[in-house]
Amino acid sequence: MRKLSIAVAVAALIAAAMPAWAHHAFAAEFDAKKPVKLKGKVTKFEMINPHSWIHIEVTGDDGKPVEWMVEGGSPNALFRRGININTVPVGTVIIVEGYQAKDGANRAVGSDLTFADGKRLFMGSSSPDSPDASRTK
Amino acid sequence: MKLFPAALVSVLLTVSAFGQAAKTSEKAWKAPKAADGHIDISGVWTHATNVPLERPKELGAKEFFTAEELAANEKRAAERAEKQASTRAESVETGNAEVHYDTAQFGLTGAQTKKASSLRTSIITGPEGHIPPILPAAAKRNQERNQARLARQWDSYEFRPLAERCYTWGNVGPPMLPVGYNSNMEIRQSPGWVVIEQEMIHDARMIPTDGRAPLPSFIKQWFGSAVGRWEGDTLVVETSNFNDRTNFRGSGEQLKVTERFTRSGPDSVTYQFTVSDPQTWEKSWSGEIAMDKMDTPIYEYACHEGNYGMANILSGVRAEEAKAAAAKK
Repeated sequence: MRKLSIAVAVAALIAAAMPAWAHHAFAAEFDAKKPVKLKGKVTKFEMINPHSWIHIEVTGDDGKPVEWMVEGGSPNALFRRGININTVPVGTVIIVEGYQAKDGANRAVGSDLTFADGKRLFMGSSSPDSPDASRTK
Repeated sequence: MKLFPAALVSVLLTVSAFGQAAKTSEKAWKAPKAADGHIDISGVWTHATNVPLERPKELGAKEFFTAEELAANEKRAAERAEKQASTRAESVETGNAEVHYDTAQFGLTGAQTKKASSLRTSIITGPEGHIPPILPAAAKRNQERNQARLARQWDSYEFRPLAERCYTWGNVGPPMLPVGYNSNMEIRQSPGWVVIEQEMIHDARMIPTDGRAPLPSFIKQWFGSAVGRWEGDTLVVETSNFNDRTNFRGSGEQLKVTERFTRSGPDSVTYQFTVSDPQTWEKSWSGEIAMDKMDTPIYEYACHEGNYGMANILSGVRAEEAKAAAAKK
């Protein structure tokens, strides 16, 4: 018999289950009113704690290269699900959507990452018997 | 406490069914013993769960879901996740998006996180399923404590929360409650000691089980002073001597926590706890969490390694302040 993994009765219950904890205060660091969409080549993928950072070189409006760095999930969470340092090699062209830092630096928190052909690393759930709770804050 | 008959019957049936299942499995499975002769609770465990600490009001006194309810809930949750994913783009356009990284940026979802199995409707046990009311004096104390904290919270790294400063995450407890991600721990067991190492942020609880006396009451510690003992097939840990800043759900220095670890199956441990603090709550309260075995090690979470966030947060706040000051001129 398939092992039961508990889901929840109602949406409110899911929200209640996921602590509104994150490692740090995102609202202080990033600006929800500054969404960015960046396309560029990966120059470095830092799988460091407490959060990973992907560095990309984006071509600016003036044609000159501009360095951006984008914050991602904790290496533990990524590694346990199959992502490692070789998953996004240097030179890979990616598109990142996210929100820029409040201090105006070329730094963002990433919310969506796709390859140039539109593919993502994984699609959907590999475990349909569990709810998607990662999108709760 | 008034119980609705239907809810009561449901709870009783569920408990009864669980009792039968437990009896059946007990015959087929015997808890393993460690080298020192006590029950072996060592290993890597997760207590990641979707069970909330407090029970949603609409569930009343219902402590457990049935398997059928669980299946229906899973279906609804999957549909909700799908809807959330499809509405994310809209929220970006309207400026209502959450500013938060998540593993979805890599095409991953929370469904790929192993969750401990449980039919419970809340971690807190009993018909109420809620933390009891806080005493008026404790509420006043906590309000003052919070006001002092919030007044300077953006001034310096020294006033930022402990998790942000890479000190501790709060999951160490006791009691040990699940956290948003990487809710995993490794338990090591040897004669006279049990060590619980949390993946987040790396804390290790050293619990003596050699019969020693607890620390003198004047020695206060962030995680208190723990003393363990084996009661049959259960490890019982009693912890007191917390300092006045430990602040577990509003607690004070009189916090006492009793934990019970029992092997409930080949791949599971049942973790139970009771919390009391006569200066904070009207009465003690208890909870139960399932812990399931992991097939991976716990990974390093060297939080200081690249905690760029701390500087970035303060930089962001300074930028906002400068903007506000310029607007005043």
